[in-house]
Amino acid sequence: MAAIDTTGLTKRYGQLTAVDDLDLTVEEGEVFGFLGPNGAGKSTTINMLLDFARPTAGSATVLGYDIRDEADAISPRVGVLPEGFDIYPRLSGRRHIEFAIETKAADDDPAVLLDRVGLSAEDAARPAGDYSKGMRQRLATGMALVGDPDLLIMDEPSSGLDPHGIREMQELVRTEAERGTTVFFSSHILEHVEAVCDRVGVLNEGALVAVDTIEGLRESIGGGATMELTLADSADPGADVVDSIAGVSGVTASGRTLECTITDPAAKAGVVTALDDAGVTIRDMRIEDVSLESLFTTLTNGEGQTETETGSARETATASAMESEVAE
Amino acid sequence: MTSHIPTVARKEFEDAGRSKLLWALIGLLVGIVAVGYTAIWYVDGDASAAEVLGFLGFPLQTIVPIAALIAGYMAVVGERRSGSIKLLLGLPPNRTDVVFGKLLGRMAVVGTAVGLAFLVALVLGAVFFGSVPFVDWVGFALITLLFGVAFAGLAVGVSAGVSTRGKSMALVVGIYMLFVALWELVTAGPYYLLYDEGPPVEAETWYLALEQLNPMSAYTTLASNAIEGSVYPFTFQYGLEDFEASQMTPAERFAGDAPFYLQDWFGVVVLLFWVVVPVAIGYYRFEKTDL
Repeated sequence: MAAIDTTGLTKRYGQLTAVDDLDLTVEEGEVFGFLGPNGAGKSTTINMLLDFARPTAGSATVLGYDIRDEADAISPRVGVLPEGFDIYPRLSGRRHIEFAIETKAADDDPAVLLDRVGLSAEDAARPAGDYSKGMRQRLATGMALVGDPDLLIMDEPSSGLDPHGIREMQELVRTEAERGTTVFFSSHILEHVEAVCDRVGVLNEGALVAVDTIEGLRESIGGGATMELTLADSADPGADVVDSIAGVSGVTASGRTLECTITDPAAKAGVVTALDDAGVTIRDMRIEDVSLESLFTTLTNGEGQTETETGSARETATASAMESEVAE
Repeated sequence: MTSHIPTVARKEFEDAGRSKLLWALIGLLVGIVAVGYTAIWYVDGDASAAEVLGFLGFPLQTIVPIAALIAGYMAVVGERRSGSIKLLLGLPPNRTDVVFGKLLGRMAVVGTAVGLAFLVALVLGAVFFGSVPFVDWVGFALITLLFGVAFAGLAVGVSAGVSTRGKSMALVVGIYMLFVALWELVTAGPYYLLYDEGPPVEAETWYLALEQLNPMSAYTTLASNAIEGSVYPFTFQYGLEDFEASQMTPAERFAGDAPFYLQDWFGVVVLLFWVVVPVAIGYYRFEKTDL
């Protein structure tokens, strides 16, 4: 049984299509990162899964329960950190946790949960209205953890957190995943997802543009580097030499500059050695790692209609990596 | 599925109990009782505690609904705007639990305020006027409680049915104005157009039934039955209706034996009507909406 399974899930607001025919499966036990720029439809999707908003078309199940007909069976088994939430300003942090425990009929110790999310006993005794954004986020995370949920749904969990808080949040996601909890979380920042996710889905303009493992995505952008070599003479002879090296997927020569797209990190040394053997003098060399960020940017930039198929994703990623090189 | 209504109601009561606005309202209610009793005692120390209790009807019919509307009009929509409803609905309580939990919680808050005011009245009555009109007191307190709870319910219903705070406030104020300031225009106006005269004492039955529907007069009619003397409804008069007639209850105005829906006790049904209908509409709209 999939933890989350959507079929043709669609949400339209008048003319605007916020989520467009979404087919997404999140397997039990995995940490799934739901990526996309602001306004891509991540929150709308999550809101539909939680029955905050109703689909225009399509259907979905969470932990095997239909999101519309069996919503009441879902919420006791799920921990939710919603986006754009607020706390009850007059109630203490501890009371918030206690309330979550009451509703879930759980036997958690509020002190333990508060400690897990990094709220001290003094903080917990204060009205939550005095809390900073980060503390509110921590409190809501604590509420989500009540009752050891089978599935954690977190919408932009890193918003309002400082780098330290983000690391703690990632640590928490890892711990939960080790306990067997499925974690589904959204973010518009790739690096927050990269560190903890088994798989990511990239959403753009309401449609999934890629679903893959982090490694898969890395592969699809080709080992992750470009080499730029400045030679003593025309680069054209060098291009022929380098082109035959395994692990180099593309070479372009312009003037005295040779640009190689590397798919296997070990090929970098091979490039240098081969050129040297061929009597080509290397004046300078620059290596640029292609980050997932650039893939993400490509997938979610303007045109956005990139196929999910790996081949074309590779091309676009490489192309964008080159563009950014040129820009520098 | 277990219901989470009591859990939500308890949280709601606790949360509202920390609201300064609410304590100000309770202070106002209790204060009016205290000041009124002291003033009457100062002017006329020989009055009986039962008579003085009757005096409360006038301020209470104005303050209680306003307090109750203020206590309720933000109940659901306030959480929707702030976003705390997402935290709440992310937990096991569903929308039904939220609406009815809030309804009960806010009703309990208003009930507490009314209860405190009457407790003060009972004590001051005994201290200043030397007697405890217990039966009158219980009856009057229960009627006022129902009155307050009805307005709290009305407000919670409105708050569930709209998407912004502004709309909720506008609707709640509008409804209150309808009851207090516009009722005669809305009821006696058409009567005038239909019959070329304002409603006389013995007006048409439909008109009397309509009169009966105003929760303000339902309250004063019920209260007049519980206490010594009469409580008159405080509503704007435009002179469309005979002044004498406007001071009478529909049952008194009906020639012969009034049908059940014009009798005084029917006011209880009227007050319940003003809870059930707004809550039903609000709940229906809230169930359907996207948050």
